[in-house]
Amino acid sequence: MRVLDYEIPDKLYYSKEHEWLHLENKEAVIGITDYAQKQLHEIVYVEIQKKGTEIKQLQTMGTVESVKSVSDIFSPATGKITQVNTELSDRPELLNQDPYGKGWLAKVEVADPTKDLAKLLTPQQYAEYIKSLEE
Amino acid sequence: MPLWYKGIIPEHLAVRNNVGIFDITHMGRAIITGPHAQAFLNNVTTNDVSALTPLSAQYTTMCNQNGGIKDDLIISQLEPNKYFTVYNAANRQKDHNWLQQNAATLNAKVEDASDQIAMFAVQGPKAEATLQKIVDIDLTKIERFKCAWTKLANTKTFLSRTGYTGEDGFEVFIWDTPLTKPEKATTAWNSILEAGEEFKIEPCGLGARDTLRLEAGMCLYGNDIDETTTPLEASLSFVVKLKKEIFIGKEALVKQKADGIKRKRIGLRMLEKGPNPRPKQEVWRDNNKIGYTTSGTFSPLLECGVAMAYVSTEHAIEGETVSVKVRNRLQKAEIVKFPLYNPTRYGYMREK
Repeated sequence: MRVLDYEIPDKLYYSKEHEWLHLENKEAVIGITDYAQKQLHEIVYVEIQKKGTEIKQLQTMGTVESVKSVSDIFSPATGKITQVNTELSDRPELLNQDPYGKGWLAKVEVADPTKDLAKLLTPQQYAEYIKSLEE
Repeated sequence: MPLWYKGIIPEHLAVRNNVGIFDITHMGRAIITGPHAQAFLNNVTTNDVSALTPLSAQYTTMCNQNGGIKDDLIISQLEPNKYFTVYNAANRQKDHNWLQQNAATLNAKVEDASDQIAMFAVQGPKAEATLQKIVDIDLTKIERFKCAWTKLANTKTFLSRTGYTGEDGFEVFIWDTPLTKPEKATTAWNSILEAGEEFKIEPCGLGARDTLRLEAGMCLYGNDIDETTTPLEASLSFVVKLKKEIFIGKEALVKQKADGIKRKRIGLRMLEKGPNPRPKQEVWRDNNKIGYTTSGTFSPLLECGVAMAYVSTEHAIEGETVSVKVRNRLQKAEIVKFPLYNPTRYGYMREK
């Protein structure tokens, strides 16, 4: 769905820190939302923790920099990083161009999907949250 | 003035490659008059005001008694005994008070003109061509740091060939335009945008203003200079004329020079791909902390991290490799001279 100026795909789960999570069995793909990339604007550097790192839900898993700002990326899930999108080191702008596609950040083997999902927002809830931020 | 219109990167590149326009009406401006105006300005600033002739401008600093920088500013002489000065927005009240306080003893009049004059900067290699279409004077006759009166969009306008980007360009003062009646300023802004359309002009925000001035090696007050740094430490000794008989801060600066300047402002260019340097990060060399950054960003032109830093003088050597501690990791950087870009290809000295 599209809310205000922001794309919010239906099949994903969202955090209030503006990360998305796509879950298939126990494997999750993680990224930042369209809202996040539009707020950051002109992303020039992305750094994600290494493959194999254990990460915890809502804790820092990396950093994203725009020309003028530095922001933490918070993991929407608890588990182990199985893959990092290495293309972002040469093309950080993919986060702006395609946040739900080529701009994905990492794949994570999720320890307890049910537990993590309970703390995330559905597309409808995230849409309401975005609207409340823009008011 | 927004942080950006289209984006910091395209706006930045528009100024380096073509032309950009900034609305900088928020800056502080004052008109100083009186038979002792020159003596007064010479007393409160570090550069030599007597070197100014009518319709010329100079960059200078204003110091406290300890030689710490109260502000950096541009002074233009409008006519003998009449000067126009532009200083930082954040220091508007402080500067005005300081000027007033010191003018009283020297019988000079300081009039805050900040809200009476609109101010734009038109910067970039196509700035002259843009403005030439809408002014009634020959701009090729105005050299850098020279000024002129003209009519722009039918309005009395003061032009100064100065700027905060490192590029050729003008600062454009739409005279007699109070904030409460901005129509003339709006008309002028639109006329400039229209004139610059064929040169791909972009309206530019604060973000590009900051990245442009950093590449050019120009200080941002509050970041790179403040009342605890002296112009000698800030590598601004070219605007400190210690031969002047008196000026506020002279004694302290003379002493600092004699004792040796302990730290210097330098430029840094990151050598490896990695996180970008930001203000207030440590600078290291051979396991020793030698200083800290005061500004840092991603450079849209050089496409790498760049910074300004203060390091101890013995380490302030161009070409040396140091490290900046970014998020607890040491990132290699080279000490480079200002401007950070190649001055034969970019900036007002570029080869045409």
